[in-house]
Amino acid sequence: MNYLLQQIINALGYGGVIALLAAGYTMTFGIINLVNFAYGEVFMLGAFAAYFCINIWNLPFWLVFLIGIAASIVVGFVIERTTFKPVRGADMVTLFITGLGASIVVRNLAVMIFDDRLKSFSLPDFLKGLHSLGDILLFNKTIAIVLVTLVIGLVLIYLVKKTKIGIAMRSISYNAQMSKCLGMNSEKVIIITFIISSSLAGIAAYLQGILFGSIQASMGFTAVVYAFIASVMGGVGNIVGAMVMGYFLAIGGNLFIAFLPPDLVGLKSLFVWGVFFLILIFRPSGLFRANIK
Amino acid sequence: MKNPKVIYSLVKYIVGAASVILILFVLDTYLSGFWHLLFLLFGINIILAISLNITNAWIGFFSIGHGGIMLAAAYVTAFLTLPPSFKNGIINLHLPSFILNTQFPFLPALLIGALFGTIIGVILVLPALRLRSFYFVTGTLGFNIIMMTIAENIPKITNGPMGLRQFPDYTNIWWVWGVAILLIYLGLKLKKSYIGRAFIVIGKDPDLAAHMGINLLKYKTYAFALSSFFTSIGGILWVHLILNLFPKAFGLGFVFNVVAMIVIGGMGSISGAVMGAAIITCFTEVLAPVEEGFSVLGLSFPPFLGLTTVLLGIFLIVILITRPQGIMGEKEIKLDFLKRFLKERIKLGRTG
Repeated sequence: MNYLLQQIINALGYGGVIALLAAGYTMTFGIINLVNFAYGEVFMLGAFAAYFCINIWNLPFWLVFLIGIAASIVVGFVIERTTFKPVRGADMVTLFITGLGASIVVRNLAVMIFDDRLKSFSLPDFLKGLHSLGDILLFNKTIAIVLVTLVIGLVLIYLVKKTKIGIAMRSISYNAQMSKCLGMNSEKVIIITFIISSSLAGIAAYLQGILFGSIQASMGFTAVVYAFIASVMGGVGNIVGAMVMGYFLAIGGNLFIAFLPPDLVGLKSLFVWGVFFLILIFRPSGLFRANIK
Repeated sequence: MKNPKVIYSLVKYIVGAASVILILFVLDTYLSGFWHLLFLLFGINIILAISLNITNAWIGFFSIGHGGIMLAAAYVTAFLTLPPSFKNGIINLHLPSFILNTQFPFLPALLIGALFGTIIGVILVLPALRLRSFYFVTGTLGFNIIMMTIAENIPKITNGPMGLRQFPDYTNIWWVWGVAILLIYLGLKLKKSYIGRAFIVIGKDPDLAAHMGINLLKYKTYAFALSSFFTSIGGILWVHLILNLFPKAFGLGFVFNVVAMIVIGGMGSISGAVMGAAIITCFTEVLAPVEEGFSVLGLSFPPFLGLTTVLLGIFLIVILITRPQGIMGEKEIKLDFLKRFLKERIKLGRTG
């Protein structure tokens, strides 16, 4: 029982990272039907910006955090303007290939420039250390990540439900044509959505760095696959659903390999894809209600 | 044999086949080294591009999971064609002894591998029944990753991430271009036949196709079987050219190249696929030395690993933005003018 609980607690940190990514992913997915595989690269470059701030300029952690977010926003914005804007309105497969192409270009550039070795990412002092509750170990960084995720989740829900921009986003996701007819500046709303989702990627990138203590130029792909599957399972455009499913995928993946024999640990990705196929075959609209709610 | 039309078509086929064999013979004798490799890769890319074209363009199910099919077929063939000394040399390879101690000739091994690949490929029809557009694309991506993960994690059968080596050098111009030309011919014929047109209608509008009495399940299965059969052959030939096989060989990068071929050449066009294969092959092979670092005029450049992939991706995005239908669209290069020219010559000869 303790073993089980420990596995679940271990997964909470990664669950937070995936939940944030899935929330950001599902926003652009819901609003312009974009399967944005380049989102993983936004995430990865945010992590690299934070890495350089720590290792070259020795900046304090809050500044590193903010610069990571700013870098993600810039990267996300540039990718949106240069690749997705010109193909907007094309069919979904074209959008998919464009996103995949952009992702492969940016990832290979990053591997070329920064190489693909693990880069160590230092933890701020106040997050070091751990608590022990009986046999169960609880790291301070895990607690911090879960708290950050919860706060951001609440902020996002407030943003989408109560503010003007949130209402605009929801209306575009329900019916883009009608919102345009009613005089909404849909281009502006799309840009703001991209900025919000990129900043979520930046936050997730910093959290990933402090969680694993290392980052890698090719880490974006796994993360974006998790985020995509979580957003499909949570219902496209549903932020709460995506975040819950992000946690579910991380915890489920950990439990899956916890009960496998040790020489089959590499099969972890089978769990995610297995769940994905099951969901798509039995509940194609996701477990929660679709559209930004 | 009295009918002039029969004689005309017979002559056409004999002349065509003879000239193809002659050209291949000349190329086989005179090409060597880099150019020989380039020509072989070009042929393999044609096979892969046309077979991907059947599912992705004609029947409208955009698959990026053909790497998984190639991987399965290549491993099955590898067990049959690897020399027994190599198979017995790996200690943790637990295969039945009759496989360990035999070495098949290429043709049966190729056919068994391709048949196995076809069976794996038909599995992809299952998601194609329920999933549409990018859900299917992501599903095939998952299929590719699953196949790769399985191959990595059963070292008793596949030797794990270490991979297999010491393949016999079976791939030559005759195998590659024989299959490639057969496939080009088959593709062009298929496009005008009932089956091919049924494929294209399913791609354009599945509901309309169902209303016209086309059995969707049957034709989807046909398309996936045909596509995965030839994709498997392409993958097997590639492995016997590169001479090693490891689980990540047919990853997303490999499939992305093939996707780029058909998108650049034009989705749904055989001649477009051939053109795309030519462009991408030249592109990747010419830039390969740049990737490994070079020096010009005393300046030495560091290696740019992954440069071709980056440039290829940029090229693909530019094509998708400026000319989404590709070079050829859905059209083919017609040889009608040649036919008309010949007919006029024959008529002139008869009258004059």
